[in-house]
Amino acid sequence: MKKATGLFILTGLLVMGCGNRASAPGVSEDKILIGNVQDLSGPMKELGAVLPAGSNLYFRYVNENGGVHGRQIEMKVEDHQYNPQKAVAAAKKLIEKDQVFCLYQVIGTSPCEAIRPILAESGTPLVAPATQSGSMSDMSREAADLIFHTDTGYDKQTRILVDNILADNVNAKIGLIYQDDDYGENVLKGAAVAESSTGVAIQKEAYQRGATDFAGQVANLMKGGATHVIIAGVVKEPIIVMKTAAAMGYAPKFYGTSPTMDHRVSLAAGPAGEGFTSANFASLWNSDAVAAVLYRELCSKYEVPEAYMGMYHFYGFITAQVLVEGLERAGQYPTRERLVNGLETLNNWDGGAFPPITYSQTDHAGTESVILVEVKEGVQTVITDWID
Amino acid sequence: MADLHINNLRMQFSGVVALDNVSFSVSGGEIFSLIGSNGSGKSTLFNCINGFNRPQKGTIEFDNINLLSKQPHEIIQSGIARTFQNIQNIPFMTVLDNILLGAHHRIDSKATIKRWLSRSQREAEEAMGLEILDFLGIANYEQKYMTGQPYGIQKLTEIARALVGKPKLILMDEPAAGMNDQETQEIAKIISEIRDELGITVLVVEHDMSLVMSISDRVCALDSGKILAMGKPDDVKNHPDVIKAFLGDSDDA
Amino acid sequence: MKGRYEDENLTWIPLLIVGIFLLPFMLKGITYSYKYYLFVLNMAGIYIILTVGLDLLSGYTGLISLGHSAFLAIGAYTSAILVDQVGIPFILSLVISPLIVGIFGFLIGFPALRITGMYLGLTTMGFGFIVKRLIIALRVWTKGAGGLEVSPPVIFGFTFNSDWDNYFLIFTCAIIAVVVGRRIGKSKIGRALMAIRDSEQAAEATGVHLAKYKMLAFFISGLFAGFAGALFAHTSHFISTDHFDIILSIYFIIMILVGGVSSIYGAVLGTLFIVLLDYLFVPELKDLIHGVFNIEGGDIQSLLFGLIMFLFIIFQPTGLYGMWIKMKIYWKLFPFNPKKRLI
Repeated sequence: MKKATGLFILTGLLVMGCGNRASAPGVSEDKILIGNVQDLSGPMKELGAVLPAGSNLYFRYVNENGGVHGRQIEMKVEDHQYNPQKAVAAAKKLIEKDQVFCLYQVIGTSPCEAIRPILAESGTPLVAPATQSGSMSDMSREAADLIFHTDTGYDKQTRILVDNILADNVNAKIGLIYQDDDYGENVLKGAAVAESSTGVAIQKEAYQRGATDFAGQVANLMKGGATHVIIAGVVKEPIIVMKTAAAMGYAPKFYGTSPTMDHRVSLAAGPAGEGFTSANFASLWNSDAVAAVLYRELCSKYEVPEAYMGMYHFYGFITAQVLVEGLERAGQYPTRERLVNGLETLNNWDGGAFPPITYSQTDHAGTESVILVEVKEGVQTVITDWID
Repeated sequence: MADLHINNLRMQFSGVVALDNVSFSVSGGEIFSLIGSNGSGKSTLFNCINGFNRPQKGTIEFDNINLLSKQPHEIIQSGIARTFQNIQNIPFMTVLDNILLGAHHRIDSKATIKRWLSRSQREAEEAMGLEILDFLGIANYEQKYMTGQPYGIQKLTEIARALVGKPKLILMDEPAAGMNDQETQEIAKIISEIRDELGITVLVVEHDMSLVMSISDRVCALDSGKILAMGKPDDVKNHPDVIKAFLGDSDDA
Repeated sequence: MKGRYEDENLTWIPLLIVGIFLLPFMLKGITYSYKYYLFVLNMAGIYIILTVGLDLLSGYTGLISLGHSAFLAIGAYTSAILVDQVGIPFILSLVISPLIVGIFGFLIGFPALRITGMYLGLTTMGFGFIVKRLIIALRVWTKGAGGLEVSPPVIFGFTFNSDWDNYFLIFTCAIIAVVVGRRIGKSKIGRALMAIRDSEQAAEATGVHLAKYKMLAFFISGLFAGFAGALFAHTSHFISTDHFDIILSIYFIIMILVGGVSSIYGAVLGTLFIVLLDYLFVPELKDLIHGVFNIEGGDIQSLLFGLIMFLFIIFQPTGLYGMWIKMKIYWKLFPFNPKKRLI
């Protein structure tokens, strides 16, 4: 019964799935197929639609200008529902069955971690994983030589924020509110590094993912006398924390990691959010950066819906730039090794949105810089150049 | 032979007295019937013997063992099996498995593990069930699933499940309920055989007077938790209180 | 005397087992993407081990558990820690981890002595949340929410490194689990468990200690889940709290429902059906529909899965195993086909 069912399905798949196997998988005369695994129906499905749309915007632009070495870029998106096991299945499907050339922008830390063995086994590169976990550029890990990280990790962001605070005020007492999951785990790692290098003790307060009440954490920080508080949350957490603190008459200076760099924070927090400073690993989509200008131009040219435009759509756009640059450098006859070698020739490459990116055989972090964005009179304003 | 002694039993459910000072004895090898209208306390009495209900007062002794100190699942080990008025078969098991459920206490854990490994233990277990099936004459039903079987088969399986536990006393709660005359005669024959061939004492609760009168050695009539009369079937049948309680009712109706 | 197993034709079992072990070779022969199919089958194999145990608990005994992904998680993390941090050989961990999960099952069994049905479902679901927090809190061993890398299984010096190797390991274990599950189900224990589900009174009257057997059901179910968890951890090389979402527990219940409650073969068929549907068939169908209608992928995928489940439960309430039995009877009596249903 089982066998029969299996065979039945298999024969069906076989008929559908017989692609041609050119020299390198996914590369034909006029096409390069790349694979993307997104959360299309899980807890982060809002991003699942927007991120690939941003990437496709850039691919469309490239394709209409003749493609990469005459080949059109085509992207196949699979769903992992933010389940690492599903991510593995999806990656296997893309690599083994759909024969993609490389993987690109798999979203989520645990899904990216889970697919490491497949990358190593098949030698498939993963370009620009959509996670800011510092573990992505840890070269001691499995398949690290195939993963090209574009974002500055949360650990580095936290360290940079601590350094920045101390540079402002040597006597600052620093507090940290972090999410009790893999994201927070990474932030804690950065805090530990900062603590040992500066000798400052950081007061750490955890909250559960999805929490909406931060009175306890804020009261603890108030009691501990923290003058500078780093909020490692997403969007609603900094808003609630700052409003809670304002209501309690507690006014430290607030900082945030990259996910808090969202214009909704300043909108919703109002006066309480004034002066909120967040780190970001790329220029803003509405800034004057070269890529942002091109982005807005293409958005109006291809009539991108208003709802799509924003930091995540832009993020999909700029990581696509990195991938295309890598494909260009892989040459006329790309193979997976040539893509890896091509990307490793990037040296202070400036795509106009990310900080200058440098890859080498021993370093796949790309960049370790951030810009700081401060809310001034309700408007997000870039206050620094790239710092690290 | 093991005797059942019930002394001064009183069972009360928050104000309602279900059994009031009930005392009687059933001696080994007897067929003893309890009769009475609905709510007279017959089933409560069974539940007390079975350990499902805890009486407030009185004692129940069987084979010189105090049954009130036992948990419901320990009663069968004392040698008392029971059938239920509303059939309590397990629908998605075969008839044979339903019967073997009754042999639960006869199979120890060691044998269970042995059963996983060898066929002989499996066959030994089946033999227990098949013996009873043959006795009741329904051996060809062994592999059928319980659900969808005729009512008579379900009733017999219920009895078989009690018998396979090799009890000394069997409690039968309305074995002929819902049966036609022919099937009732069949049941009467089986009850007699249980006593005569297997040597099991039988305590029956039954509405069907003709059945009770034909098989019982002694009869006890209950009304509102009290004993009205006890003795030979004919004596009880002709007892003025019994006539008043039962037949009087029918006069009114 | 006629044994009741004589009617059961057992020759197909060895054939099936040979078929299971030949399947990878056939796959390799007919498709170059065999590793993908093997991966999906491996996952089905691990889930089969778990659902066989879940069937004994929720199918046979009728004690619903929505915490089985947590049992799987405990098994996975226990084994990962035992092997990688304590240094116990994998083969020994395959024995110890299930026992530890069994003890957890035993503890969760306590509330089941008093509550049943939906309330028990909610309690076990709560247990799932607690376990998730616990894994994060014990970050010294579990590396918190960041996830834990796990070494591949090593048995007597042989390392199972690929999907190919894992397939043989997992399906050997799955076959053992199915055989053990069936033996339990057909023995005194299985009868007692089923009696508890359908009539607690009848069970007690025949000498079944209700409390003991309910706890035993949880313990046995925990053993299977722990066994599956240990295999899961080492064959997937990486585990995190995201792997063991609450939705997975619900999937497990759906698997045994689809297969047909209280039949071990049903649990196996249901698991295969759901895993193949969810991981192979629906993505393919989605690709096909996507190619024709150009709709967003994610939405169709959940829609298709839901639709197929819905139709299945409406038209085939007795489950896959019931369907199989009906087919068997149909062919046995062919051409004298009675219009009578089996059940």
